Amino acid sequence: MELLGTLGPHLLNGIALGLLFALVALGFMLIIGVMEVINLAHGSLFALGAYVAVALVSPEGGLRLSALAPYFSLQIPVRFAVAVVLAPLAVAGVGMLLELCLRRTYGRDPLYGLLLTFGAALVIEELIRLVWGPTERFLPLPTAITGGVTMGGLVYSVYRFFASAFAVGMILLLWLFLQRTRYGALIKAGAHDSEMVRALGVNLTRLRLLVFAFGTGLAAVAGIVMAPIWGVRPHVGVDAVVPAFVIIVLGGVGSFWGAVIAGLLIGMVVGLTGAFATAWSLVSMYVLLVLVVTVRGRGLLGKKSVLER
Amino acid sequence: MTVGNESRTLAAGWLSPGMLVAFAVFGTLPLWIEHVGLYRYLGVEILIWCLFALGFNLLLGYTGLPSFGHGAYFGIGAYAMGLTQFHLVADLWIGLLAAMLAAAVVGGGVALFISHRRGIYFALMTIAFGQMFFFIASKWTSVTGGEDGLLNIARLPARLGVVAFDLTGNLAMSYFVFAVFVVATAFLWRLIHSPFGKVLRAIKQNETRMAYLGYRVYVYKWASFTLSCAVAGLAGGLFAMAQNGAYVQVMSLQWSGVVVLMTLIGGGLVSFWGPVVGTVVYFLARDLLGAYTESWLLWFGLMFMLVVMFKPEGLAGLWQEAVARHAAHRRARAGALQPAASE
Repeated sequence: MELLGTLGPHLLNGIALGLLFALVALGFMLIIGVMEVINLAHGSLFALGAYVAVALVSPEGGLRLSALAPYFSLQIPVRFAVAVVLAPLAVAGVGMLLELCLRRTYGRDPLYGLLLTFGAALVIEELIRLVWGPTERFLPLPTAITGGVTMGGLVYSVYRFFASAFAVGMILLLWLFLQRTRYGALIKAGAHDSEMVRALGVNLTRLRLLVFAFGTGLAAVAGIVMAPIWGVRPHVGVDAVVPAFVIIVLGGVGSFWGAVIAGLLIGMVVGLTGAFATAWSLVSMYVLLVLVVTVRGRGLLGKKSVLER
Repeated sequence: MTVGNESRTLAAGWLSPGMLVAFAVFGTLPLWIEHVGLYRYLGVEILIWCLFALGFNLLLGYTGLPSFGHGAYFGIGAYAMGLTQFHLVADLWIGLLAAMLAAAVVGGGVALFISHRRGIYFALMTIAFGQMFFFIASKWTSVTGGEDGLLNIARLPARLGVVAFDLTGNLAMSYFVFAVFVVATAFLWRLIHSPFGKVLRAIKQNETRMAYLGYRVYVYKWASFTLSCAVAGLAGGLFAMAQNGAYVQVMSLQWSGVVVLMTLIGGGLVSFWGPVVGTVVYFLARDLLGAYTESWLLWFGLMFMLVVMFKPEGLAGLWQEAVARHAAHRRARAGALQPAASE
């Protein structure tokens, strides 16, 4: 019981972190599934989402147009809500542009898609530096979701609860979307056999564009939710996207719940090692990955997938 | 896409026209680099990264395996160079050997885990391992100096029997790095044009077929990865000398990506010398574009995207195409003349 008392807060933090990792990884996985492309720019789009949100919430966030003065006189919660909706849409737009560039690599070695998105990651990160500068930015939060609560003599940050609840909500919504809607069915079918989907008369070009927009939009959502926890730096994307790779491989490519479980596992491992050996908390997830993948080559719940071709 | 079109002419030999050009340019580099407005250290840097990129291309261009974590092995080489010097013995050759061996041992260990993987899955695993080493290096402060790096690595004199060359100046360093480059390049060239290299290229084209033909694909991929890491370690060891220190930044995902950029822009997928061309272009862009704008990486990144979209064979691909077109043109003209001559 005492052990649980000491571990509890770290486990809780770990679970919150894991849920957010899973959110990043799921957007990433949608794109892998349908497009057969590893989007290395996912992390940069994650960061871009956070920056756009900063611009929409904070008056010093980069939008220095005097015409916007009435907008910035609105309450912070209103502006925050606007940012949560508009920033992912803006990033989804950038994602669509990227998909248009990617079209030239379809039907060729998948390596080219990987390389193109790597270039895009570089370009987006440099653009962020150009527009917002290299210094760290802060995302102002509505007061309702800041501060702390005391439970069992320990202080927990309210925002972490909000972020976890938000992540759980998004994951469930995403699952319902994939399970219960026509588009969800198309996406799953596209991930299974995109040529067959095309043969059945579905506009595959448009489906890919939408999936890419959707996946990158999810990256932006995760970026906004993560912003108050990790801070907003041009380089923050790498911190987000690399755990996403690890989660995808660990959970098994193409498995929705595999990614969620892997996200939670990694969050908890990072949280627990953070408690006992802070310096090593980020290494632990790779150790976990290597251990699991050595035993189960396709990850926890993975099936044979497009990536092995 | 055939790698190494040059191989048709002098594949069996130790020399090729491209090699002569590269050696002539890099060998005389210290003599004229300052006259074109650049500086000697840049030459050292370019040669080291050329070596790194050539070794990397053994994996990417010849075996078809993309590694996005190669900076890790470069960094391990750099640390090994410093650590042998500080704790073991202050000898240049032993230091370089240790740099190569350390990278080869770590790379070989990683390759055990990932050699049965293919394509993008392979790439993801290399990212994971690369990041793991990056974090270890940045946190293991007692050994690597953490974020500050391993400082004061000396440029030890190169002892050859009774003579010893002092390498503290950039001129001597240039010639030394060039000498190492020549040896390593000759080795890579022979390797690629050996039966072993042929198997690697065949694996790139169709791994399953090679497995059915009875080749132990796993072993070949393992060897390719390990050798490539050894070259990266050697380059890293030289870099630690050049910089007088080993820093963790080179192990980051971004620097691992830079070597991919260099290799691809130059045309590593179609030519042995592609990575060299790409490295030179990268450093010139850094120094020349960088003088005008701080965001030169933005423009370089855009250029890279355009290359991937429209000309993935890179600059070497453009060159080969131009040569082929010229040859076809000449043939056509000769063909047009012949009937006239016979009349």
